[in-house]
Amino acid sequence: MKMADQNVVLRRNRPGTKAENFYRWCDEAYEEMDSTLVVQQYIQQTIRLDHNNIDTILNAPETQDEGVWKYEHLRQFCMELNGLAVRLQGECQPSTCTQMTATEQWIFLCAAHKTPKECPAIDYTRHTLDGAACLLNSNKYFPSRVSIKESSVAKLGSVCRRVYRIFSHAYFHHRQIFDEFESETTLCRRFTVFVTKYNLMSRDNLIVPILEDESAGQGESEA
Amino acid sequence: MDEASSQNQLGGSANPAGVANRQNLEEPSQRIQYSIPGILHFIQHEWARFEMERSQWELERAELQAKIAFLNGERKGQENLKNDLVRRIKMLEYALKQERAKYHKLKYGTDLVQGDMNPPVEEGGEEGRVDPDAILSTNTNVSWKQSRHLLRQYLQEIGYTDTIIDLRSNRVRSLLGIDGGGNEENHNSTPAMNGSDTTKRQPDANRWNVTKKTPSCLEAQIQDAERAVIDNFEFLRSEGMEMDDDDDEEEPEEEEDVHRLKSPKVPKVALDVDDVDGESVDLDPDFRFLPDVEDTSPGVLGFGPGSRRVYGPGGEEDALEGLGELAQLTVTNEADATYDISSTKENFRKTWTAKYTLRSHFDGVRALCFHPQEPTLITASEDATLKLWNLQKTVPAKKSASLDVEPVYTFRGHLGSVLCLAMSGDGDKCYSGGIDGTIRIWNIPSSNIDPYDSYDPCVVGGSLSGHTDAVWGLTYHGQRQHLLSCAADSTVRLWSTDARSPLLYTYAVEKDGIPTSVDFVYESSNQFVCSFNTANCVIFDLETGKPVTRLDTETEQGSSSISRQINRVVSHPTLPLTITGHEDRHIRFWDNNSGRLVQSMVAHLDSVTSLAVDPNGLYLLSGSHDCSIRLWQLDSKQCVQEITAHRKKFDESIFDVAFHPSKPFIASAGADALAKVFV
Repeated sequence: MKMADQNVVLRRNRPGTKAENFYRWCDEAYEEMDSTLVVQQYIQQTIRLDHNNIDTILNAPETQDEGVWKYEHLRQFCMELNGLAVRLQGECQPSTCTQMTATEQWIFLCAAHKTPKECPAIDYTRHTLDGAACLLNSNKYFPSRVSIKESSVAKLGSVCRRVYRIFSHAYFHHRQIFDEFESETTLCRRFTVFVTKYNLMSRDNLIVPILEDESAGQGESEA
Repeated sequence: MDEASSQNQLGGSANPAGVANRQNLEEPSQRIQYSIPGILHFIQHEWARFEMERSQWELERAELQAKIAFLNGERKGQENLKNDLVRRIKMLEYALKQERAKYHKLKYGTDLVQGDMNPPVEEGGEEGRVDPDAILSTNTNVSWKQSRHLLRQYLQEIGYTDTIIDLRSNRVRSLLGIDGGGNEENHNSTPAMNGSDTTKRQPDANRWNVTKKTPSCLEAQIQDAERAVIDNFEFLRSEGMEMDDDDDEEEPEEEEDVHRLKSPKVPKVALDVDDVDGESVDLDPDFRFLPDVEDTSPGVLGFGPGSRRVYGPGGEEDALEGLGELAQLTVTNEADATYDISSTKENFRKTWTAKYTLRSHFDGVRALCFHPQEPTLITASEDATLKLWNLQKTVPAKKSASLDVEPVYTFRGHLGSVLCLAMSGDGDKCYSGGIDGTIRIWNIPSSNIDPYDSYDPCVVGGSLSGHTDAVWGLTYHGQRQHLLSCAADSTVRLWSTDARSPLLYTYAVEKDGIPTSVDFVYESSNQFVCSFNTANCVIFDLETGKPVTRLDTETEQGSSSISRQINRVVSHPTLPLTITGHEDRHIRFWDNNSGRLVQSMVAHLDSVTSLAVDPNGLYLLSGSHDCSIRLWQLDSKQCVQEITAHRKKFDESIFDVAFHPSKPFIASAGADALAKVFV
């Protein structure tokens, strides 16, 4: 909201702002941002501009440290994935989806427990997202948001792998929800491009045929 | 057994010889009765005995070593104590020196007058004797007399009993009779007030006496000093003795006498140093002893068993004077010290430090709310989740300055940022309003559950729909069990927690602007106050929806409309006071009955985003986008503490602050996805 008399842009969503007016400020160039949460601001800004423009979203500015870039993107993914989890919450019952599966080949065990446990799908989803939140926010592995320890970069890969399973389960078992969500946010496609670009997961694990626009995909889709 | 067998073998082999030998040696053998088994037995027996003794020795040795260690420890303790006392003495010496300097300056001019004044009143006969001596000695003994005066004063003040004075004076007299001693060095003894023993006083007196000057001079001086001191004492006595309790606290290690001596003297001397000289004299016969004592007084009065040390550095003449100054000094020091202690204690009580950091959200935390009784809180974030935190479950962390907490439960249900939060009165339910226009009800699970437990759909308690735009304000009234919400669709709605027909009332308030925050008015029973983005703030009646009082906010002209927005309104729990936080950095206080502005103050460097009043109604907490939260005392409207917390994202920093209703916690919610709890 510009304050005309002072010509200073205050990027705030003040109380009383209507939903449609949220974030209605002009964009800020990456170089001009000077807070500690620059990367998150920038990513959210580009997504708001166009969530379909994956390349723009994922392309890091030149001076940006790659570790931090990956980390902040992963945070953003986990945050947006909450939307999918909320939609699944209604439909994915423990009685219908007793295990976390995607295709028939794979059953995924939930790593949030001391010994990996076969959680029902909705539990797996929640635990994975909660576990990712704890890990990505933990002071031990990620004490700072402007620099990432080398030893912690490996953790990003495991988080990606687990989070991807939510996509695959939704794709194969709750297709309608998945399609709705994907049309709103293009999240799965962006995620797939993200992990391939930064080599965070092996290709074999990318079982959701998101990049092939037409074909039905390798696995059988189970209702 | 081997031994036995070996015995047998030996015996067997030796037997023939042994038998022969024995027979040959019968006589000696009869006497001695040696046999191999016997010998072996004996050797074994002896060995066993030695072993036993050895073990006993070991035991004793261990005991003795323990004892040695213990005694060593004790010795160290005593040494430390001694060092402390020595240090204290040195401090007092130093203080005394300073006091002397001061007092010397003060008293130097007036001392003559005093000397002249006293004799006529008290002891006429001695005048003649005294005066020349006094005059002669005044110059040299001025300070000394002064110091004696002061000493007497102090004695008087502490109620130094007459018997002791008599005793001392007698002792001194006898010593004086024996020795002529210098007076001067006694002064040093006075400042050493700490830790004096009665036993030490005598040796001090002795020492002191040894160093005396000629007795005659001494006596003359004594009498002069006596009079002056008596004057002083009288003055002081008339003033009444105040025991400075602070002083008592300051020096627990002192003996009672010294203790009492110091403490009353302390306030008195501070007041009376200048006045003492000018006082009229009512001789107290008891104090006659004092002059005699005076010479030794510095030591004898018990000021300085530690005066041994004082002797050396003492240097200056004016024990009493120095003592007075010292007393002054101690007054101020102790008064200051205790003042500081009390104030720091208070400050300490009021000083909040960050204790817990709640990290788990992915985006800014927009609202937070404490549980009414337990040390748990719920945060609501722009990442569309709410999280339940238990402050007793912290993550073990190496950096112990601030403990990290992980959430116990994550509430998922909103499809967009959650903007506001309210907790029910009993802590079972919480209500959240979001950008999607819904108010969701959550049944709060126990704070001890496993975060990775199965999903329990019962946690989702339903949602209240009605608003058509982002819900910005939520507040819950414990007694009425009603929920009040305001949204960007320009309505304020009243809900009841009864599930069947939750929406009770919709107040259309768009003519005042878009509501930004609502609160129930606690002081009266049927009103709520609502603040708008147009800087209006109105108290409405709950039943009719009509405005009751319009708070007079039309004060500034010419400022842009945005800057006049009110971000937050809170109602005082007991007083008819409403407090608003504005985008123009001000916090304003309003009277509910008249609608008038009570006070307006610039509270922060940037807009004020959140306010919270403590449950007792004494403090106000405010958070701002300038990254600081400030604690204000409500009666004086003074800021008692400022805490810098949270980092900026875009131009936003702190969204919400809260007090715990029953425990000493305060919390702040930031745009950097953190929530912090302070104790």
